[in-house]
Amino acid sequence: MKKYIYIIVAFLMIQSSLLAQENGFPSIKLKSTNGQMVDLVDLGIQSKDTMVVMSFWATWCIPCINELEIINDVYEEKQAIKPFKFYGVSVDDTRTSQRVKPFIKGKGWQFNVLMDINSELKRYLNITDVPHVIILKDNKIVYRHTGYISGEEENLFEAIKNL
Amino acid sequence: MRKKGYILAIIFFSFFLSSNQSFSQSLNQLIKGNFSGSYENYSQYYLKDDKIGALLPLDRIGSNGFLKLDYNYGKFSAGAQFESYLPSILGYFPIPVDNQSKIVNKYFKYTDEKFSVQVGDFYEQFGSGLIFRAFENRQIGINNAVEGFNIHVNPTDYFRMKVIYGRTRQIFEYAKAVNRGFDAELDVNHLLGRKNDPINVAIGGSYFGKYQDYTGPLDKFPSTVHSFAGRIDLDANDFSLSSEYVEKASDPNLLNNQSFEKGKAFQVNGSFTKNNFGATATFRSVYNMNSTSDRNQEFTSIAPLNYVPALTKQHDYLTSNIYVYAAQLKGEVGFQTDVFYNIKPGTKLGGKYGTKISANYSMFNALKEPGNLTAIGKQKYFSDANIEIKKKFSKQMEMTLGLQQIFYNSAVIQVVSNETVSANVVALGGLYKWKSKKSVRVKLEHLSSETDSKSWASGLAEFSFSSPYAFFISDLYNYGKTKNHYYNFGASVTKKSTRFSLSFGKQRAGLFCVGGICRFVPASYGFTAGLTTSF
Repeated sequence: MKKYIYIIVAFLMIQSSLLAQENGFPSIKLKSTNGQMVDLVDLGIQSKDTMVVMSFWATWCIPCINELEIINDVYEEKQAIKPFKFYGVSVDDTRTSQRVKPFIKGKGWQFNVLMDINSELKRYLNITDVPHVIILKDNKIVYRHTGYISGEEENLFEAIKNL
Repeated sequence: MRKKGYILAIIFFSFFLSSNQSFSQSLNQLIKGNFSGSYENYSQYYLKDDKIGALLPLDRIGSNGFLKLDYNYGKFSAGAQFESYLPSILGYFPIPVDNQSKIVNKYFKYTDEKFSVQVGDFYEQFGSGLIFRAFENRQIGINNAVEGFNIHVNPTDYFRMKVIYGRTRQIFEYAKAVNRGFDAELDVNHLLGRKNDPINVAIGGSYFGKYQDYTGPLDKFPSTVHSFAGRIDLDANDFSLSSEYVEKASDPNLLNNQSFEKGKAFQVNGSFTKNNFGATATFRSVYNMNSTSDRNQEFTSIAPLNYVPALTKQHDYLTSNIYVYAAQLKGEVGFQTDVFYNIKPGTKLGGKYGTKISANYSMFNALKEPGNLTAIGKQKYFSDANIEIKKKFSKQMEMTLGLQQIFYNSAVIQVVSNETVSANVVALGGLYKWKSKKSVRVKLEHLSSETDSKSWASGLAEFSFSSPYAFFISDLYNYGKTKNHYYNFGASVTKKSTRFSLSFGKQRAGLFCVGGICRFVPASYGFTAGLTTSF
């Protein structure tokens, strides 16, 4: 029996990598820093013109903060080259989620932050570690990157420019 | 051996098919919807080191693997997770799992805008999780998904309701208790037609119950345990206030020493933000809140039902993490406060790029008397006062200074010694970027203490010469008592959403905490390899 399970799992693992995200996304609720519920499908991910960039982060994740600080420093400059929507999606759970709003204000970040408190969106997108950046356009994930080392943000801006 | 042969043959065969474009295209046409997934593997090869107490396990290799596959077509989704422990890495589970693999977390879900139903294994949270939380944290080895059904109903845009029923996962089995729960949340402003009011008010309530057969000799033993919670959240642009109260009926179990007392918890949090300033403070008091899906369970990390995290700062310093707090569910009272401030660029103190300051203070004590949530006892469990200043000098260079003062009651938190520890930490970090994608990050730390293992020093350097490669080297040295070095060095390569890392070194024995759950990790020495990919 186990043999067949291994066969199915290995087959699906390889074949699934061939298939792109094509059929849209389900309704997944996130919380804004003002306490409003926001639906993933209402963020403009269907647009064929403007891309939606989501950076998954947490207040305890130092590489995430390093990446978002660099992005914030050049945010206006990059928006002037090619406009894009940007959301920092916090995966802080209830241990640290109350720190998110004061944290982003204290950092002076200009972009919107949404909260994925029990990691529903993170799990749906199969994100294992933060930081993890995705670009959504025309209902598809057109770019994704995990981890951050200094300079990595240049690849993201390159992708935004070319997509 | 035959098993591994099958896997290799199938992978090879699948790659062969994948390379055949016409085959994969026709397969794509046959399959509507999309597959996505992730794979994560964390493996270790152990060596012996008597000096740090790293013993050789019977099997020199530990390997945890997680393959998650999801299928989504319109409003329907389904998926499963395949987990293997060949065997589990040292300290991952309180009792090691030896060479077992299984498909777990199977689910089927229908999601509509106003209604969703999930059957199979699911994750869920009511309120802040004090009453109920099912979640996965692979770092710490927690997966308390519930097998059963989970229904969400949102009849209007201001009212949300959840109903759950099922059994909690207990590694590869299911725990004995049957859970049922209900949670409802109402946006008051929307209900009153005042959606644009400056303050958003939401109220919520939860019920969670569990039933486990009791066949012992006591007449009035509670087979069913009911818990109730109520909460209120106020949110405005610059201000927010949230509060939750939970009460749990008598729930004698191994973790609370068969206490028949009721459990209760109260938490209140307030935040204020203005321009480049943010502050938050949380008060929490807890009594007898161990909630487990098997009353005979002796480990807190196996099949818990609620989430009561340590409300203290999670540090990334090597030395600070020697003394981490674990929430005391039998009874604790305390608070945490944070302040964040960005001194604007262009000012004298801010310089060209601004200066970022963050300060944090937390303190937790025993309750003065059992069950009285408002009376603060004299016995101190933990306190942490810390400040961090981060300054960017140019596009090439930035520096960070961190100072910390810790009080740690080992007798209560680790139950391994009767000592209390007062420690001071100084940390200095720097980043120098000399060319695009070429940088070095350095961190130096010192911890001074008169008790326990006394003083420590540490150094860490991370090099990035050419993306996607990164290298690191670190050492944590106890020069105050044991003279042990805990060095580590390694490299990683990242390509899109795939990351592979390899390192070699020594791991200190100690309490390892992520979120609210802590486990004791034994000392180890050897190689560690990690692979993660999402697709």
